[in-house]
Amino acid sequence: MHSRWMENNTFHYAQFSDLKTLVRVKEQRALKISLCLPTLNEAKTIAKEIVIFKSELMSRYPLIDEIVVIDSGSTDKTREIAEEFGADVYLASEILPHLEPYMGKGENLWKALYITSGDIIVYLDADIKNIHHRFAYGLIGPLLLNSGIKFSKAFYDRPIATVGHKIRPTGGGRVTELVIRPLFSLFFPDLTQFLQPLSGEYAGYRDIFEKISFPIGYGIETSMILDIYQNWGLDVMAQVDLEKRVHRNQDTKSLGKMSFAILKTFINRIEKLGLIDLKGPLHDRLIQYNASGIDIASDILDIKGYERPPMIELAEYVEKYKSDKGSSL
Amino acid sequence: MAKPTISKLNMDLHLDNYIEGAREMADAIITNIVFIGQVPAPTFEESERVNLFMERLSGFQVNECTTDSFNNPIGIIHGRSRKKPPIFVVAHMDTAFSKEVDHNYTVEPNAITGAGISDNALGVGILVSLPGILRHLNMAFDSDIVLAGVTQSIGKGNLRGIRHLLKSWATPIRGAICIESGELGRLNFYSDAMIRCEIVCCIPSTQRNSGQHQFNAILVLNQVINRILDSASPLAPTAQIIFGTISGGLKHGQIPDKACLGLELRSDSGKTVGRLYKEIKAVLEALSSELSIDIDLSTISNVRAARLGEDHPLVRTAVSTMQKLGIDPAMGPSESELSIFLSHNIPALTLGVSRGTGYQKTHATMQIDPIFKGIAQIVGLLKAIDGGVCDA
Repeated sequence: MHSRWMENNTFHYAQFSDLKTLVRVKEQRALKISLCLPTLNEAKTIAKEIVIFKSELMSRYPLIDEIVVIDSGSTDKTREIAEEFGADVYLASEILPHLEPYMGKGENLWKALYITSGDIIVYLDADIKNIHHRFAYGLIGPLLLNSGIKFSKAFYDRPIATVGHKIRPTGGGRVTELVIRPLFSLFFPDLTQFLQPLSGEYAGYRDIFEKISFPIGYGIETSMILDIYQNWGLDVMAQVDLEKRVHRNQDTKSLGKMSFAILKTFINRIEKLGLIDLKGPLHDRLIQYNASGIDIASDILDIKGYERPPMIELAEYVEKYKSDKGSSL
Repeated sequence: MAKPTISKLNMDLHLDNYIEGAREMADAIITNIVFIGQVPAPTFEESERVNLFMERLSGFQVNECTTDSFNNPIGIIHGRSRKKPPIFVVAHMDTAFSKEVDHNYTVEPNAITGAGISDNALGVGILVSLPGILRHLNMAFDSDIVLAGVTQSIGKGNLRGIRHLLKSWATPIRGAICIESGELGRLNFYSDAMIRCEIVCCIPSTQRNSGQHQFNAILVLNQVINRILDSASPLAPTAQIIFGTISGGLKHGQIPDKACLGLELRSDSGKTVGRLYKEIKAVLEALSSELSIDIDLSTISNVRAARLGEDHPLVRTAVSTMQKLGIDPAMGPSESELSIFLSHNIPALTLGVSRGTGYQKTHATMQIDPIFKGIAQIVGLLKAIDGGVCDA
C-alpha cells in the first residue's frame, strides 16, 4: 500500500480558510471555478445552499464564478427556488437533447461538464442540512495550493437528523463499510485510505473529469475514484476533512439499491482491468422483498448501470470548448 | 394639505435608500442569520455562538473586535469624532433551546425557519450584518457604533451580560437600540418592575416513608396558587401575577414528592412588586408551617421599572420613522436589555425586525421581506441618535 498518501494528501478544511489567498492564486492562474449542484426534489435545502455560496464565495470572496443547478425533473419547486435565489438552472433532459435522456446524479454531473465553464468544477450534493461555504473552499483549497493535486474528495462526521428534531451523533457510512471498503481491500488496497469514498462532495480539474466516463446513477463516486486512480495514480487525489455533515438517513432497502449499482460498476471495472473473469453478463434486476403480515412480495427494480462516455469524446463538447477556450483542447 | 418640508423629503428618501441598500445585501444578511442560528446557544452555553459572532464581525472589518470579561462579544465601528459618546446596538445571544435540538435552518423564498430564529437569531444576524450594511450604504457616524451581543440574558441568565457590560463600560453612552427578531413594529421604551421567581414544594422523605398520609406536591402547589390569589392585596391596575410554568411528578400513578411553580410579578411600580413578593412569601411560610413541608421561594431574575416618556425625542423619532416606513408602532413594556440601559439613564429602545410565526417553537419561522424595513428603521434611528436626538 502507498504508505505516505494518507499523511501527505489528507487535509482539514481549516488549512484553506484564508480565502483571500485562494482568490489571489485563482486569479494569478486565470482559473474559473464552477459550482454544480445536482438536484431532484431538494426544495427544502437548495435555497440555503445557493444563498450561502453566493454570499460567501461570490460576493465577499470571488472564488466561485458560477453556480449551476442541474435538475433531474423535480416535482417540487426546486428549480423555481434555485432560479429565484440566483443560480443558473437547467433541466438535465434539455442539455444535449439529442441524446437519450437518463435519470440519475451521474447523468447530471456529466451534463454539467457541458454546461459549466470552469477550469475547476466543484460537485456538492444539494441535500446538506448544515451547508457551509467550507464545503466548497475546503475542496478547492488543495487544488489551488498543491500543484500535483487534481481531484479532492470530502470526508466528515455523519450525524443524522431524525424525526423529533434531535440530532443523532453518529451513523451512516454503512455502504462504505459493508461494500466499498471490503472491495477496495480485496482489489485496490491503496484506495482504502479514502475515509469516505462515497461522499457526494468532490472537486477537480475539468481536464480530469472530461476524460473519464460517468455512470448515470449511484456508481459515479466509485467509478470516479477507480478511473482517476487507474489513469493518473493515487497522488493526484486528496481527501479533505469537512467535519460535520448532517444528511437524511436512508433505509436499508435504499442502501441495497445503492449497493447494487456500486457493485455493478465495480465489477465491470475490475473485469475490464482483467482482475476477474466473468463467465456471463451481470443481471440488471435488483430483487428485494416486502413482508406485509404473512404475505411476502418481491420488489424488483431494473438498474441497468448505463455509463456516459468521457465528455471529451463528444464532438459538441470539443466544439464548444474550442470556441470558448481557443485551441486548448 | 401642507407641502412636505425638504428635510422630510430627504428623510423619506434616505429611508427608501436604506431599504434598498439592505435588500442588496440580502444574501449576506440571510447567511449571517442562518450561520448564527445554527449554532446552539442555550443560556450559559453561548461560547460557540460568541466565537462565530466574533469571526463574522472581524470578517466584516469592524475597527475593533473583542470580548469583555463576561464573554460578551463586541465590535466597534469608529466614528469621526472622538468626543462624542458611543451609540450601542445590542442583541441577546442566548436562546431557550438545548444543544440536542436540531438547529439546522431552512431557507425558503420568503422565510427562514428553525429553532431560536425568533428569539433571537434573526436579531443577532442583523447585528453582525450591520457593519456590511452601513459600509454598503456608505454611511459614517460621529459617534462610535458599539455592536454588542450580550450573553446570559434570558431566564435564569437574568440579563447578566448586559448588566456586566454597562457596569464595566467606563465612558458615557449616547443612546442604545436593542434588537429583537420580532415583531416588526415592536417599540419598547419602558420597562415594568418585574420579579421572576420559583416556588418549589418538596415533601420530606420522612413523610414519604412513614406510611401515613402523604402530601401530593402538585396539590400543595394548587393550594399555594389559591392562597396567593385569595391573599394578595388588590392589584394596582398595571400590576400582574403571571403563573407561567408548572412542573412535577414522574408518572401517572405515583404521588409526586416535588413540584415547581414559576411565576412573574410585574408592575410599573417597583414598590408594588416588592409588596406582592413579601405577601407571597408570607403565604408560603404560613402554609409550610401548617403542613410541615418545605415550600421555598427563590428569585430567578428581577428588573427595576424605568422609562422614557412618550414625548422623549428618541421615542417620537422612532414613531415617526416607523410611520414613514409604513410600520404601525406597537408600544409596550419590555423587561429585557432595555431595562438595564434605562436604569443607567441611557436613552434606549427595543425594536423588532421582522414578522413571524411559531415563536419559541423548533419550527419558528420569520419572514425575509420585512427584514429590510426592519433594518431601515434601525439605520434611521442610528442616524437620528448620531444627529443628537438623545443629547438634550
